[in-house]
Amino acid sequence: MDSQWRPFDTYHSPFDPCPPKPKSYIVPPNQFIVFQAKGMKQFAPQEALKRGTLWPDLYSPYEAMPQGGARS
Amino acid sequence: MTTPQVPKEYYRYLHELQAMDFVCLELSLYLDTHPDDQQAIAQFNQFQRRKQVLSQQFEANFGPLKEYGNSPIGHRWTWSVGPWPWQV
Repeated sequence: MDSQWRPFDTYHSPFDPCPPKPKSYIVPPNQFIVFQAKGMKQFAPQEALKRGTLWPDLYSPYEAMPQGGARS
Repeated sequence: MTTPQVPKEYYRYLHELQAMDFVCLELSLYLDTHPDDQQAIAQFNQFQRRKQVLSQQFEANFGPLKEYGNSPIGHRWTWSVGPWPWQV
């Protein structure tokens, strides 16, 4: 699964008729970089426009939660 | 007045301008928190100049980019003629 997604398990009550829904949360790279260092490597302009950021280290596709979620 | 079909360069210019805009945006956000980063300032100046040249070239060929006197308009008032933003 994409490294930025982390599954977690929620309590599933025995009286809950529905199957437990797989859950996970995203931890994008900007959670790990508190203060951006100088001289970080950069994308080319066209690539940066496509990716949505100039800095590869801060790039996250922010995809929707993968269906597998916690149970994959 | 029918909207003239624009050549391919029109879109190439716009795409390049968008890339330049985006880099300037990212660098200005970066420079907000790193005002003394000379390397980033040099890069910003480089992209700002490139963006200026590109927009001047675009405006020479396809008419003004910005309204209200922010762009030269030449000899004819073509603001209402060019492809509208949603038609581009």
